[in-house]
Amino acid sequence: MRPMSTRSEIPPSAAVLAVRAAGVHRAFGGVQALRDASFAARPGEIHALAGENGAGKSTLIKVLCGLISADRGTVEIFGQQVRRVVEPAARRRLGVATAFQELSLLPDLTVAENLLLQDPPRGRLGLVRRGRLVPTADTILRKYGVDYIDSRATTADLSVAHRQIVELVRVLAQEPRVVILDEPTAALPDRQVEWLAGHMRRLRDAGCCVIFTSHRWREIEQLADRVTVFRNGTQVATRDRISEAEAVTLMSGRTLAGTYPDISALPVGETVLRVDELAGGRLRKVSFDLRRGEILGVGGLAGQGQRDLFLTLFGARRAAAGTVSIGGEQVVIRRPKDAIRVGLGIAYVPEDRKAEGLFLPLSIRDNVALATLSRRSAGGFVRRRAERSAVTSISEQLRIGGGRASNQAVGTLSGGNQQKVVMARWLLTDARILLLFDVTRGVDAATKHDIYQLVADLAAQGKAILFHSSETEEIANLCHRVLVLREGRISAELPGPVGDADQIVAASLKEASDA
Amino acid sequence: MNAAITPDVRRVLYAYAVAAAVLSLGAVLHPGFASWTSLRAVLVVAAFTGFVAAGQMLVVLVGGIDLSIPWVLNGAAIVLTTTSLGQSSRLPQALALALGVGALAGFANGMGVAWLGVPAVVMTLGMNGVLQGLSLGLSKGLTCASCGSYAPQPLRDLFVGGVAGIPAALLVWIGVALLMTVLLTLTTFGRRVYAVGVNSRAAFLSGVGVRGVTVALYTLSGVFAALAGIMLVGYGGQPSLGLGDPYLFESIAAVVVGGVSILGGRGHYLGVVAGSLTLVAVTTFLQAQRVPEYGRLMIYGLVILVILFAYGRDKAHD
Repeated sequence: MRPMSTRSEIPPSAAVLAVRAAGVHRAFGGVQALRDASFAARPGEIHALAGENGAGKSTLIKVLCGLISADRGTVEIFGQQVRRVVEPAARRRLGVATAFQELSLLPDLTVAENLLLQDPPRGRLGLVRRGRLVPTADTILRKYGVDYIDSRATTADLSVAHRQIVELVRVLAQEPRVVILDEPTAALPDRQVEWLAGHMRRLRDAGCCVIFTSHRWREIEQLADRVTVFRNGTQVATRDRISEAEAVTLMSGRTLAGTYPDISALPVGETVLRVDELAGGRLRKVSFDLRRGEILGVGGLAGQGQRDLFLTLFGARRAAAGTVSIGGEQVVIRRPKDAIRVGLGIAYVPEDRKAEGLFLPLSIRDNVALATLSRRSAGGFVRRRAERSAVTSISEQLRIGGGRASNQAVGTLSGGNQQKVVMARWLLTDARILLLFDVTRGVDAATKHDIYQLVADLAAQGKAILFHSSETEEIANLCHRVLVLREGRISAELPGPVGDADQIVAASLKEASDA
Repeated sequence: MNAAITPDVRRVLYAYAVAAAVLSLGAVLHPGFASWTSLRAVLVVAAFTGFVAAGQMLVVLVGGIDLSIPWVLNGAAIVLTTTSLGQSSRLPQALALALGVGALAGFANGMGVAWLGVPAVVMTLGMNGVLQGLSLGLSKGLTCASCGSYAPQPLRDLFVGGVAGIPAALLVWIGVALLMTVLLTLTTFGRRVYAVGVNSRAAFLSGVGVRGVTVALYTLSGVFAALAGIMLVGYGGQPSLGLGDPYLFESIAAVVVGGVSILGGRGHYLGVVAGSLTLVAVTTFLQAQRVPEYGRLMIYGLVILVILFAYGRDKAHD
């Protein structure tokens, strides 16, 4: 494979920045993923980007490599401005190569085809010489010391770790000036992490700028020359060395005292939901009780089975094993329709409002009323007056849209109001058990505060609440008890309110490094 | 944006404006065009398009499509005449059988799409082929002993004559329009249909039986196609092979010209009514202008493209 850029283009002075972003803003719908974010990395350094989920790391990476455009602000690669979206070919001319968290390999192609997708061996007339694909790919794989991967294998058949390696080799083989790796080690076993570390150091020593993200602090300490910490879409610090404790504080960010309602005074009653050895998806035998009036936090690193736990309890995915009892009686929940039924009374408020919660072109009324339509109907007809009064009262209670007409399309509302619409739908079901999955994601500070108060009020009314958030601080402050999930199991149970998010983060991190 | 006039309502109004424009143009250029006889003919022909488009619209609302309409329609028409043998006494059973054939075909389509996960295009195209083969085989190419039968006289009287001077097809169409509007806007079922069409995952998580809704809609589409077949033999007396062929294109065109989003979740049947009228008005106008067949087809296609282009621009402003 031909090198994409020649080394001579790299300016000799290290004073020139390899990557510079200043005042970058970027929103997705109503969610501000980056606000006034700045970032700078030099040639010849390994620069780690740290931050919690949703802090804006992945968005920054996409802006840096020109995959998406910034709403405002400037991005420069070696002094050259990156405006708007950059096509892959132009990106390579800039000398930027990125390994994305959600791998960009095409599953149905072979490893060789994926490796050489952008720059296949060509013959005369510019036609691809298919016969050269496998030998060329094998040469590349050998060069990077991973010839244990068969270049003729279909990519989908590889293990996740091997797919990750192919993605990384594809990036390395471009010999870029700037390498960006988003969570490159998440799927790699230790030995391959060492392999990757070796290549990152080699690139750095050759004058390349290497930027990576990781949730494993040990790796950041061992590899990074500098660290930039992100929180809530903006950078909070860039240092040569940061201790883990300090980083955790910087990443989770203490909110001012008094932001969270005091839940310790709320009484907790009898057991409402009992989960026994539940398994399915990433879940491996999870058992716990949830009591009336209790807010039970579910924490841990991202992707440890939290989502599967919530979806399985709601009947949106099948349990492979285990039992669920409600009010002492064993129940089988095959689909959400069963869970919503009055007798069971389970509600699930999803994290991804747009994909799983909302009907954007439909009105506030249609959105709010959907889960309880049949309760306000006669002979299949909607009882419109009953519906109007129900929607109006819940909208007022939650202060949705500042009194906007209920026939307004939900797509026109802000992120915070949209979340309230989803909450309203589930409150109307009068559920006893609320599964709140990261309900404050992408919500502004004021609405977050409203939601904290609402959660505490609901617990005070006797609802049993299972609460997950990607902001560990919320779990630390809003929950009576906290379960830490790791690889589908409960690895720790902390009495709450924990107060100090570091404890939960530490519990999850410690477990992860043992794995 | 004015809250009262949503983009959906605006499209319905556009569709009527276009229909009105074509009719006025015809009236100016051809004095006879605006006469009651001529308008009546336009309305009756549009009614047939309107029936099949009603079924098509229902499946399009959940992001599907029904390509089996031509031979469901044709099959139902053949079933009606061959089982009734032109006898009035057999009419009720024959009607039930013909509608049953439509319902069964639609139900099978729905099961294939919702439970087996077959893409709608493939499932309904396959169904169209199966029904075409069945119709040709069982009727031996419409040469069988009972194939020469006519539709029973009461049915013919109704659709050729009408009720109190108003064509029966038109009355049935008004009924269908009312039914569709009530179904989609006033019932819980209608609410669920739009929810599934906009976001089926969110609908499922809100307790909507997405599969059940889908099967019901395809079944209704089959029933509407059969209904159109029944009324066409009532109108024409005898079925022919290929009777339903024009209605696939027309049903889809009427749905999209009527402002229903082909991606699902948005649209009103009143728009589809306007869409059907527009299509028939354009055809009639071109015939009155003595535009030759090939020119008619070209202009017809162009008109549809222009209307859709206008919608596309409208959408860009939402």
